[in-house]
Amino acid sequence: MEQHPLQPKVKKHHHHIMPTKTALMIGGTLLFLTFVTVWVAGIDFGAWNFPIAMLVATVKASLVALFFMNLYYDSKENGVIFITSILFLAIFLTFTATDLFFRGDVYVKGSLAMAAPAGKSKFTKPWVSTPELIAHGKTIFLAQCTGCHGNEGKGDGAAAAALNPHPRNFTQQEGWKNGRKPSQIFKTLKEGIAGSAMASYATLPADDRWGLVHFVDSLGGPNAGDTNEDLVKVGVDPNKTESAEAPEEKTIPVEVAMKRMVEDGGYSEAKAGEESNVAPGNPELENYDKRLGRSFTPHL
Amino acid sequence: MSDVHTAVAGEHTRHHAHHFESAEAEFDACKQGMWIFLVTEVLMIGGLFVGYTLFRGMNHDAFHEAHKMLNVKLGATNTVVLITSSVTMLLGVTSAQRGQRSKSMKYLIMTFLLACCFLVVKYFEYSAKFHHGLLPGGNFTNEELTNPRSSLFFSFYFLMTGVHAFHVVVGMGLMAWLMKRTANKDFGPDYYTPVELVGFYWHFVDLVWIYLFPLLYLVG
Repeated sequence: MEQHPLQPKVKKHHHHIMPTKTALMIGGTLLFLTFVTVWVAGIDFGAWNFPIAMLVATVKASLVALFFMNLYYDSKENGVIFITSILFLAIFLTFTATDLFFRGDVYVKGSLAMAAPAGKSKFTKPWVSTPELIAHGKTIFLAQCTGCHGNEGKGDGAAAAALNPHPRNFTQQEGWKNGRKPSQIFKTLKEGIAGSAMASYATLPADDRWGLVHFVDSLGGPNAGDTNEDLVKVGVDPNKTESAEAPEEKTIPVEVAMKRMVEDGGYSEAKAGEESNVAPGNPELENYDKRLGRSFTPHL
Repeated sequence: MSDVHTAVAGEHTRHHAHHFESAEAEFDACKQGMWIFLVTEVLMIGGLFVGYTLFRGMNHDAFHEAHKMLNVKLGATNTVVLITSSVTMLLGVTSAQRGQRSKSMKYLIMTFLLACCFLVVKYFEYSAKFHHGLLPGGNFTNEELTNPRSSLFFSFYFLMTGVHAFHVVVGMGLMAWLMKRTANKDFGPDYYTPVELVGFYWHFVDLVWIYLFPLLYLVG
């Protein structure tokens, strides 16, 4: 009989019927592998725990798909359909992970890049150390710097071990790349240090940066202090009373922008059902909230 | 969509829909449809897996601490129950394919009972979690776990195992339907499509659990 082109090719009737013995053997193997995976989980392989458990699961899943779900005996088509879904799942996972774990490298511009309000300076002559500035700097330090530099500024934060060069130990006098006069620390905060994990913090308002400078300075011994020329070099007019310098860059890492939206917005305090209290007095963030049509707390 | 089963003498005794060339072609099309449905299931449940994996990556300590609150013994028991039920389901299908109706019925009942067993164990696990305040999001009241992200683990735990348990319940409904049709003598060596495809569904439910168990209970 001529095969109609639109008719699927029909194979001769030879549907595979699995022998009971094979079914029981595969079932037994699956139970054995369950035992193996529980047993292996009792041993600590550190970072390998996860891949090992997933490998055993995948061997089990393959047995189920190939023999219980007949793919081994089936036409290739169904196998391809199934594998394709797994492939798309892999794409889904990889791309989302790439997005999530590399956000620190992506910078955003515009309304999301709300650096802290660039209003008037709260401090007169912030380049001159005062106890208030040191206290202000400490709060910023604890929020921004301890990950690498440690709670006491000894360069022993959680991420320090992974960094080369090591984060600076502020209690040590020697070895500061840019020197350790206040203006030189200010320069480091502004520009970062090339070839190290020290990023530019030019997005922080100048007051915050000067606060950091004086706090960091207070951790070490005395230093030479700034001359007027030193100050002029970092853009300060020593004769004026306030720092005219607004946060310099309007771009910040996406991660920082998101953190600011969550933290500055007091999301964690807001309760579901309450009026959103995102960033009071910060119209740009309020609008952002409205754009998302959101008036509740994302409790992550 | 006629369900007329004519016992016409010849190669194929079962009536198949007129747009198929043969009963075999009809079976293949049904099977492919089932696979496509299972693909949508992979993508739906996959979303939960992706979410779990990534949030676990971001809150590793919280997840690791929280996963220790799950009972590995009960989880492993349920894994054994579900794998065994997959085997009985498979034997139910092969019996139907060989025309051994009463055997097929027996295996279907066994599968159904094992599914019940799975849900009973799940019920005890859930009540223990409720009792200790290990609940998703804002309902979390447990005081042993201090990490503020602990509740996130339980959001995933309940969502993932809940979606899975829902599939188990649906599977039990399908099995009850197969039992009824088996009792009606609807299936035989020439026609067993529903039995085999519900089998596929059941194996898929097993397959999902094969990943859920290590992810939630073992590595956390």
